[in-house]
Parts: sequence; structure tokens; C-alpha cells
Amino acid sequence: MSDAILQLRDVHKSFGEAHIIRGAQLELRAGERHAVIGPNGAGKSTLFHLISGQLQPSSGQILLGAEAIQGCSPQHINHLGLSRSFQITNIFPGLSVFENLRIAVMRKHRMQYHFWRSVQRYPEVREQTEQLLEQVRLQDKQTVCAAELSYSEQRALEIGMTLACDPRVILLDEPMAGMSHEETDYALNLIREVTQGRSLLIVEHDMDVVFSLCDRISVLVYGEVIATGTPDQIRADRRVQEAYLGEEQCA
Amino acid sequence: MKLTKILLAVLLLALLVLPAILPAAMVNAAIQMLIAALFACAFNLLCGQGGMLSFGHAAYFGVGSFATLHAMSALNGQGLLPTPLLPLIGAMGGFICGLCAGWFATKRAGVYFSMITLALAELLHSLAPHLNTLFGGEAGISSMRAPAWGLDFGDATQVYYLTLGWVVLSIALLYAFTLTPMGRLTFALRENGHRLQFLGYNVHRLRVLVFALSAMFAGIAGGLQALNLESANYVLFDMRFSAEVVLNTYIGGVNVFLGPVLGAALMTFFGNAASDLTQSWLLYQGLLFVLVMMFMPSGLAGLVLCWSAQIRRRGWLAIVPAAFSALLGAGVLSLAVVFLIETLQRVFSQDYQALLMTDQAWPAISLFGREWLPGALLTWATPLLLGVAGLLVLKLARHQWLRLLDDEPVVNAAALRPRVEGEQP
Repeated sequence: MSDAILQLRDVHKSFGEAHIIRGAQLELRAGERHAVIGPNGAGKSTLFHLISGQLQPSSGQILLGAEAIQGCSPQHINHLGLSRSFQITNIFPGLSVFENLRIAVMRKHRMQYHFWRSVQRYPEVREQTEQLLEQVRLQDKQTVCAAELSYSEQRALEIGMTLACDPRVILLDEPMAGMSHEETDYALNLIREVTQGRSLLIVEHDMDVVFSLCDRISVLVYGEVIATGTPDQIRADRRVQEAYLGEEQCA
Repeated sequence: MKLTKILLAVLLLALLVLPAILPAAMVNAAIQMLIAALFACAFNLLCGQGGMLSFGHAAYFGVGSFATLHAMSALNGQGLLPTPLLPLIGAMGGFICGLCAGWFATKRAGVYFSMITLALAELLHSLAPHLNTLFGGEAGISSMRAPAWGLDFGDATQVYYLTLGWVVLSIALLYAFTLTPMGRLTFALRENGHRLQFLGYNVHRLRVLVFALSAMFAGIAGGLQALNLESANYVLFDMRFSAEVVLNTYIGGVNVFLGPVLGAALMTFFGNAASDLTQSWLLYQGLLFVLVMMFMPSGLAGLVLCWSAQIRRRGWLAIVPAAFSALLGAGVLSLAVVFLIETLQRVFSQDYQALLMTDQAWPAISLFGREWLPGALLTWATPLLLGVAGLLVLKLARHQWLRLLDDEPVVNAAALRPRVEGEQP
């Protein structure tokens, strides 16, 4: 069995009175695709915010590899090799697709403060940006303003930006939300393809996607992980059926 | 684009021969235009490109001015920093103040950012009159341009060329900056600072640096002002100047690199010309700003781009009718507004009110070389009719323009697409 690359140990998060995450335990193994599912309001997005540095946990430990990252800044966590996408499309709408990806690629080359050379004179950045464009299949759109892309193209762009820093761990927050059937298939293949050799933690509501994509699944209910296991184990788990699938049937 | 380059070369050439043609008083106005253009361009690095609307940029302009004056007095134009290089001190002053103020201001974004910059500038404005050694109290400080490099800087022409050199160099540097990695990140900062963080960038540090760079170039503009006027006082920190650069920049257009330059040069020119002619200049400036914001949010530069795109697609001849009626309508309408404002301003002025006597008709006022009686119908009917005519012509122009846009099937979809900032392969 492979080692854990991301671990959550008894993580709590409260917003004032509201106790959103109540002692979450989670383990992401190196190289696996792992889904977090759960009913609305279970705290899935909050969990992602805690891991990626958007929010600080009230207590508990988050380990990336061997390093504790709870409370670190988002850019620091990114430097350690964890990259995320957002539930609500989060790109640079007024810039071209190429520019969006190039900005994401530049980080890896530590060019943040380079002001003495034109950005065009970094052939390696250009190459990698083009590679990335090809990977997310947006070559034809590279000069288009990102705001003008279709919804699924924007999601693909966002995945591309998430990949640009060559992360070990990728967090995708509902990448398929709001997509049509064809778009979902397209995005599913894309995710499968680009996460080769990386660890993926994904929040997704589309159960077909979750069960076909992921090696393991964790179920989050009211801020607690109530079960973790392979898709078959999760399907068979009584508590999950009660807490989640049952609820869905009622609804 | 080739055309843009040719136009810029022509403009530069015109600026080079300008002092030979213009009378001395106008050369001074030209210097002020150049300085205002650089100031607006520096401001736009922060506002248009970085997406941070500062309401206190006069502070860095002023600091640059004072720093240069102190250096001018201390060094007397000798040694390592002869007179032509003195704006470097202004740049340094602006940069350092920008770093300090920027560190605080960029902790917040949006309205809060604007409020902090405003507060910091007001702080300087109220402190400066009390700091005698630094800002010379209420009287301010003054100095003399020392001769250097075989030039005595005695007349406006030499100062003009010195200013031109610095302004062209600075604007070129500012443009070059937009092409560098850091410059590209500045655009991303405006678009979505939150996402930048999660791509691994230190957004606060980036914001501070952009702020400081913008303040640095504002400081150069301030230094040039110091060289030109040889004096400065605390009024430089006034809110009015901070507001002016915001107005100039937006009237010119924040999304085009040279937009603010255009806006600042034009507004300074009109300010110079109109303040001699009328007392209501500030009212016109305000009106202009409101109109631009309401009807051309992308500014004058946006209008120019829109028209030139149509010219490229349809040729000169096609847009002439629409453009002609638009200009005609705008001209007639502004004539009506000017007429009305000037009449009212004269009628309500104290001098005029003092002339009034009971039981007698109000005496005539002179405007546009004619005498107008406030009691006569014609005096009020003229602007009204002109205004209505202007509005009708504008409506016609709008109609023509829309028909023009509908008219032709799209030949080349790429030409219609709004241009995305920056070049692409």
C-alpha cells in the first residue's frame, strides 16, 4: 500500500457558533484518485478551503507529505506542490486563454519579479504553455478572451491552470457542476488523462463520475468523514446509505 | 500595428519641432501637458493595469517634487547629479514613499484601498504646512536650476526638451514593463488577485511593488514639475490634484496604454485654454467626465479604437456620414450647453447683479461678440433650439451607426472580436 501524501487529523473548523468541520479524518494516498462526497452543506468546500489555505482550521493537523500545512498561506501551500481549482469558475476573465495559462506557468519559473525582459523571451514558458493548451484541448481558443469561452471550456481552462505548476496533489472542487452530458464525458476524460501520476482529491456530485473515476471515496456528513473505502465498499456501507443515498432517495 | 507606429513617430517629430513654432507662453503649457501625461500614465499602471484605484496619487507626485527641489538646492547641479538627472531623486522619493504607503494600502482592496490612499494623501496635506524644514511651511520651498552639460536651462525651450526626454523615456519604460512577466502579472492582479494566490504568487508583495513603481513614475513627473517651476508648496498634496489625475485617466481611457496620456494632455490643454476664457472651467471638466463615463466608459481612446476598427473593416467612406453627424451633433449640443452656462453665469455674477435697478429691464450681456438681453425670448430660445437640434442630430448619428453595424454580414469574425490585451503568437 502506498504512503499517504495528504492527511487530515482531527480537523475542526467553526465559524462563531457554527461548527462546520467536526474532527475530519482523511487520508489521500500517493497516486490515487479520491473523491469526497456528501450531502449539501456537509462541509466539502470548507474542507477544500482548509486544505488549500483559504481558511485556517480551528484545531487539528493537516499534513502534506511530512509537513504540517494548517494555517499556511495559499501561495506557500502551492509551492509545496498542492494546487486546486474552484467550485465557481475562477480564472482571469479579461485576459486571453494563452495569457491565463502563461501566468499559471510562470510561477514555476520564479518569474514573479522579472521586469527587465519581455515575457516572450522565455522560450521554455511558451513551450510549456503550448503543451498545456494542447493537454486541455484549447489550442484553437488561445487568443480568445477567457470570459468568452463556453462554460465547459472555462472549466477546462481552470483545470489547465491548476496543472500548470506541476503539482503532486490536485484538488478539484466540483469540476463538472453545471455541465451537460457530453461536456461531462469530455471533462471526465480530461481529468483522467491529466491526473496521471498525481494524487487527486475531488469533490463531485455526479455519482457516475465519482464511481467511474475514483479509486477510493470518502463520505462527509455534518463535518465528519463517516466512511472511506473503494466504490464497492461505499455502495455497500449501511451508514452511507442512511446518511446520504437514503436522503437522496427521499428527496 | 504599422499605422500606430507611424502615428507615434509623427507625434514625436511634432513634439520635437514644437518649440520652434510656438510662442514662449505656449511652450510652458506644452511642458505642463507633458508632465500631466506622464503622471496619468504612471497612475494608470496602478489603476488601469493593476486594478487599484488610488485617490491620493498627488502625494507621490508632490514628494517627487519636493525631493527634487531639495536635491537641486543641496547639490546645486554639481557632482554626480547634474540638473538634467535630478528627476532621478524624484523617482527615488516616489518609490520609497510608494513602498511605505503601498504596504499599508494594499493590505485592503477595492473601496478600502481607495480610502487608505486618500487618507494617506490627506495626512501629508495637513502635515506639510507644519513641517518647515521638509516642506517649507505654508510658503513652500524654491530653488534654482543650475547650468549643466553646457546648457543653462534659462529659457522654457531647454526645459521643454529636458521634460520631453524624460517623459518619452518614462512612458517607453512603462510600456516595456507591460510586456515583462511582472507586467503581465499586473494585469492578472486586476482580473483576479484571489486566483493568483492559489497559483502560488505572493499577491501582497506584488501589489506593493506595482504601487511603488507607479509612485516612482509619478515622482519623476513631480521632479519635472519641480525643474519647471523651481518651487513647490504643500498645495501639491491637495485632493484636487489627486482627483484630476483620476479624471484625466478615465477620460482618456484606462484600458488602452496611451489613453491616459491622451486624456491628460487634452484636459491640460483645454484647462489652460479655457481657464483664460471662462470662470466655469471646472464645471465643464466635471460635465465632460460625467458624459464620458455615461456614454463612453472606455474613454476617448476607446472611441478612437472603435472607430479605427470600423474604418479597417469598412473603409473611410462608410463611416464618414455617421462620424460626421456624431461630431456635428456633439458640437451643436456643446455650443448650446456652453451658451446656457455662460449666460447663466453672467446673469448671476455679482458684478452683474450690482448693475440691476428696480423697475428697469435687466441690461444686456455680451457673449460670442453679441449683446443678449436677459428679458428677450431669443436669448433663451437660442440655446434651447440648438440643444434640441444637437440631440436630434445625435440621434440620427446613432441610428446611422447602428445601421452601419447591422448592415454588412461579418466578413472576418476575428476582426470583430474585442482585442485582448497583449500580443499573442
